[in-house]
Parts: sequence; structure tokens; C-alpha cells
Amino acid sequence: MQSLYVEGNSVMHRLSPRLKLLSLTIFGVVLFISGNLILLSIAVLLTAVLYRMVGLPLADGLRRLRPIFLTIAVVALFNLIFNPWQEALVPLLRLTALMLLAATVTATTSITEFIDEVTALARPLERTGWVQADDIGLALGLVLRFVPEIVGRYQAIREAHKARGLKVRPTTLLAPLIILTLKDADNIAAAIDARGIRRHVS
Amino acid sequence: MSTRDLVLTALFAAIIVALGLLPPISLGFIPVPITAQSLGVMMAGVVLGARRGAIAVLIVLVLVAIGLPVLSGGRGGLAIFASPTAGFLIGWIFAAFVTGYLSERLVNHQQSGLVQTVSFFLTAMAGGIVVLYAFGITYLATVAGLGFTKAFVGSMAFIPGDVIKAFVAALLGRAVMVGYPLLPSRA
Repeated sequence: MQSLYVEGNSVMHRLSPRLKLLSLTIFGVVLFISGNLILLSIAVLLTAVLYRMVGLPLADGLRRLRPIFLTIAVVALFNLIFNPWQEALVPLLRLTALMLLAATVTATTSITEFIDEVTALARPLERTGWVQADDIGLALGLVLRFVPEIVGRYQAIREAHKARGLKVRPTTLLAPLIILTLKDADNIAAAIDARGIRRHVS
Repeated sequence: MSTRDLVLTALFAAIIVALGLLPPISLGFIPVPITAQSLGVMMAGVVLGARRGAIAVLIVLVLVAIGLPVLSGGRGGLAIFASPTAGFLIGWIFAAFVTGYLSERLVNHQQSGLVQTVSFFLTAMAGGIVVLYAFGITYLATVAGLGFTKAFVGSMAFIPGDVIKAFVAALLGRAVMVGYPLLPSRA
């Protein structure tokens, strides 16, 4: 699975991931406090410039944001039917600026940096007994390892249906897929424990 | 959490991601794709129960946040959370939890297949529709400045599809309960 990270050496690439995430949060809060159209327009311009600096070709950069921007635009349009234009424009600018900065952070932070940050964030929660921070990386790795496997299995089940002339329905397809996949859990768990990967579990 | 539960949640998260690779169906005038992924959220509840189901969904959202295109249509990254419909994504966690919580309490092995299926259908509706839309609509109303009534009306277009998904999730929940029951060994 190709991550949305873009190789590069821009200012945003060099900033620490924690600082970027913190700024994104603060920026989000500030955006939602302010209702000033001029201020929000400046925010959109600034974040657009920042997003351009990532080094993504213009077409690629736009393609990434299209589905999100479309949702924002449709809601703004829907808003425009019922409310005066200023009231429809504020959320449009606000969410667009937030989207641009968030996309910039995503494009300039590698998956490894992100996982380190998430793990560090979960570390204080260990004392509550809810989560072991090291398990997060393990779980994420497991997901990425098994997605292709599951897609392959889905195709195999579908072909088996076709070969036997059965109609492809979600229930006849998904039930065996889920059962087959979850039945692997015991073996995978045994393999993880045999290697002593989760040292905190006796 | 035992290693087995950790693996089960990760595998289910992988199933939800894989469901996103199936082509989405767009509802014409609104560009929110009706995908099999919200079916995955209901299934997480009926198959894994409250805690493991919610964690499976949470793992998917963490993958989105760290910049992997795991949502249907290859969407991903932090920008997704700037969308006015992000409340539905956040609501996924609670939807899976409530579906799972009710499933753990309402469904058991002594019941007939029909009772199990109907119970699963009701739990999937309660979690995957009532709880999910409560989050989604509240977020849409406040963040997009739509107001509750309009956000509610606008979201109603998706209810029929979600009722069908709840029905499919119920059939699957029952099938997995027969073939490989996990709900009784809840984490």
C-alpha cells in the first residue's frame, strides 16, 4: 500500500512531527474561533502556498484533495440554499484551510515518524492498563501485512463461486472470507508469542 | 489484551480496509460514497463484540490519520478529518462499540437462528445507524454551520442503504456465530 508521504526536503519535511501535529491542532482551534472572512481567506492562501511547497506536482496534489473538497463544497452549496452567502462561505474557507494544512502534514511526515508519535502519545496511557504502546506498531504492521492476503482470498472465493455457477452475494462471499481470515488468528498469535515479540505478556 | 485478541482486531481491521478496495457506489447527487466499509463497522460489532470491535475500527482510523489511503476510493491522510462528514468517521468507533455491546447481551447460542439474526439486525441498526448518525449529524450541524434540521434531512438519504447493510451484517453475524463463534469469548 502506497503511503501518502511525499519524499522531499521542504521546511515542512524538516519540522518535527510533534510540532506539526501540535500546530495543526492549534490552527484548527483558531480557525473555528474566527469567523472573519478576510482572515479565513488569508488562511486558505497561506495553507495553499504551504501545500504547494511540499513538492507534489499540481495535478497530483489536486487529485488527492478532490473527494474531500467536493464534500466541503457540496455542504457549502447546500448551506447557501438556506443561509446568506457569508454564512455559507465561512465553513467553506475554514474547512478548506484545515484540509490544506492537514494534507501538508500528511505529505511531509513519514509513516515511521507517525507511528513513533502515536506510540509516544499512548505511552502515558499504559499506566491505565488499557493499552501497551508497543502493541500499536505491531497491530498496524499486522493490518498492512494482511490486507493483500484478504483481497487475494476474496478473489479466490469469488472464482470458486463462478466455477460452481453460484450467484455472488455479499453473505455467501463475506461469511467464508471472515471465518477463514479470523481462523488464522490462533496461528498468528502463537507465532507472535513464540518469538517473544510482546515481552510485557508473560 | 491477549495476543489472540490483538491479532483478531488487527485481522478485522484488515478486512475493513479490504472492503474499501471494492468499488464504492455513489448516491448520485451527494458525493459521499456508499461503501462496504460501514458494513465492516457493523460486522466488527456483531462478530467481535464491543471492545475488540471498537479497537478494530480505531486501528483503521489510525491508519487513515498516519497517511495511508485505506478508506474507499483510496482516500486517507489527516485531511479526511477536515471534511464536514468526519463526524461519521469518528462515530464509527462508537457504532462498533454499541453494536458489539448489545450483541454480547442480546445474542446467545441457545436462541434459534431467526432470533439471533433479528437480534443482530436490531443491534446493527442501533449502533450502525442511531449512534453513528447521532455523531455524524451533530458534527455536520456544528462544523458546517448547517444546523440540526438541515443536517438531519441531508443525512436521511443514506439511511435506506444503511438499513440494507445492517441486514447483511445480521446475516453475516449469524453465519460467523455458527461457523466460528467469537462473541462469547469477549475481551
